Amino acid sequence: MKKAVVLFSIACFVSFAFVIGTQTLFYIPKNWPAPQYNFSKNPLSEAKIELGRKLFYDPILSRNGSISCASCHSQYTAFTHVDHALSHGIDDRVGTRNSPALMNLAWHNTFMWDGAINQLDMQALAPISHPDEMGESIANVVAKLKHSTAYPKLFFTAFNDSIITGEHTLKAISQFLLTLVTANSKYDSVMRKLSYFTVQQNSGYRLFQKNCSSCHIEPLFTNLQFENNGLPVDTTLNDFGRMKVTLNKNDSLKFKVPSLRNIEFSYPYMHDGRFKRLSDVLNYYTSGVQYSNTLSPQLKNKIKLTSNEKVDIIAFLLTLTDKEFLFNTNFSFPRTK
Amino acid sequence: MKLRCVFILLIFAFKSFLALAQTEQKTSIVFHPMFGNSILTPNNLFYSLGNNGDSIQIETFKFYISAIELLKDDKIVWKEENSFHLINVADEKSLTIFIPGASNTVYNTISFNLGIDSLINVSGAMGGDLDPTKGMYWTWQSGYVNLKLEGRSNLCKSRNNEFQFHLGGYQYPFNTLQKVILKVEENKKIDIVLDIKNFIESIDLSQQNQIMSPNKQAVLLSEKAVGIFSVK
Ligand code: HEC
Ligand code: HEC
Repeated sequence: MKKAVVLFSIACFVSFAFVIGTQTLFYIPKNWPAPQYNFSKNPLSEAKIELGRKLFYDPILSRNGSISCASCHSQYTAFTHVDHALSHGIDDRVGTRNSPALMNLAWHNTFMWDGAINQLDMQALAPISHPDEMGESIANVVAKLKHSTAYPKLFFTAFNDSIITGEHTLKAISQFLLTLVTANSKYDSVMRKLSYFTVQQNSGYRLFQKNCSSCHIEPLFTNLQFENNGLPVDTTLNDFGRMKVTLNKNDSLKFKVPSLRNIEFSYPYMHDGRFKRLSDVLNYYTSGVQYSNTLSPQLKNKIKLTSNEKVDIIAFLLTLTDKEFLFNTNFSFPRTK
Repeated sequence: MKLRCVFILLIFAFKSFLALAQTEQKTSIVFHPMFGNSILTPNNLFYSLGNNGDSIQIETFKFYISAIELLKDDKIVWKEENSFHLINVADEKSLTIFIPGASNTVYNTISFNLGIDSLINVSGAMGGDLDPTKGMYWTWQSGYVNLKLEGRSNLCKSRNNEFQFHLGGYQYPFNTLQKVILKVEENKKIDIVLDIKNFIESIDLSQQNQIMSPNKQAVLLSEKAVGIFSVK
């Protein structure tokens, strides 16, 4: 009976699924937009996903074997860096930005806070090569993988080619990242009419729709655009966001709108991790937003919220936590079977 | 008499074999790196620059060419599928491109792109000459480097007198892709001279010694880089 219910709910709430045995490795939740990632150029397979997962957790990707992707993107915090405002990398060097949570990446078409990366496959090159992150080069990573005992066999199983290449290394990492789908929060079950918001959560949801969802648009909770939400520049970092990529003044201080799913666990907040608590963020939106030429129009009229209303919005934001995602063993450190 | 017949037949067979071998000789494009009148080799060699005793050393010179086409009087008569080649002056092998499929076409013009087009730039991880391990892909901002020229000159006011020009960018307004069109004589071997002397002398090395991302300068220099190519 229980199994039937599970099967039924999968049939209802998933419009596409990549299933191996009893495991759903990737799926498109019902009523979600189509993914941006071009799967035809990198078709999913269990062996490639597993290889990507192993690479994600393997410090072999860093110069001195000390840092893996997971060092800055840990599952229990929705794949962001625990507690650090600015990410920490090799030799304890501190980066210049807060590591974003990694989730629902198949729906993104640009990556990084400023959109410097145009395709998921190319993302891993950035941390691998960054002197403050992993301090390595992809050519050297490939050389190390070739000389390892485990990888040549895994690459052969995954790609039918025993010669390890940069292309295959990056595609495997993408495959794992693509499986990080989160769509099973309380919010989702309310939308599926399987559960109800409390009165407070419901009030928060209304206030959120009125004040926040033009940028943090459902169901991804981001419009995937670059917006200036009015944060004053941190003069120790002088990070002007999107302008660095386009060299266009109109893009000054614009950052990629982050998703708010699992926001309960992905603190600290903003591109430089300047806020520790959600209450700080709400106080900021009502009284900290700074006017500038590129400030997004939605914020030109001040957001007004009473302190009770702020508490309600936070209560709603907490319904975006997806425990199944945070503790899904398919995403955790791969233990040998 | 019989023997003579066999002999003639043999000669005939040999001749037609030769003819066959000749038509099967592959068409190739061969690049000849030069600095003015000297042959260009990476490292060590000094080439003189202008008339003031200034000099230059080249350490890296590599670039992509793509979308090779042969034309006869402006009509495309042959084009290469999946046409992407990394030409690296330090790698002798890369200086010859075989295009066997073109052997039986009649042409008088070759055209190709200097660089990688925008579609490939947004298509994710690629293999072969486009593999990111080739060191021609920017890591912190997506996109291929179309052309890399690095070396030293006493004119550069930089650390160790180094200069580094990494030209690339596929997005408006910094699209650096260039089309190169050259008249060629129909031949099994298309010899293309790569002379970087004028190109380098057009840059004021005392003012400019680095381009490392897509910008206006990268576009200007890419346009000038078309002049590197000529036919012997
Ligand atoms: C030293 C810490 C660190 C390491 C190691 C690291 N990252 Fe990141 N990651 C970051 C930071 C910081 C950002 C945001 C950078 C920016 O916006 O400029 C980021 C951004 C990302 C993004 C973009 C997310 C989005 O929504 O735009 C992805 C995907 C990602 N990392 C995957 C990886 C993978 C895969 C690895 C391993 C190859 C990795 N990271 C290793 C810190 C790290
Ligand atoms: C004009 C678009 C816009 C509106 C409206 C907006 N935001 Fe944001 N939000 C952003 C952008 C852009 C960022 C990232 C800014 C940065 O780090 O530079 C952000 C960041 C956040 C973050 C931090 C996320 C993280 O992972 O670091 C939270 C939480 C947040 N917003 C909540 C809200 C709430 C609640 C509202 C409504 C009261 C709201 N936002 C309205 C654009 C917007």
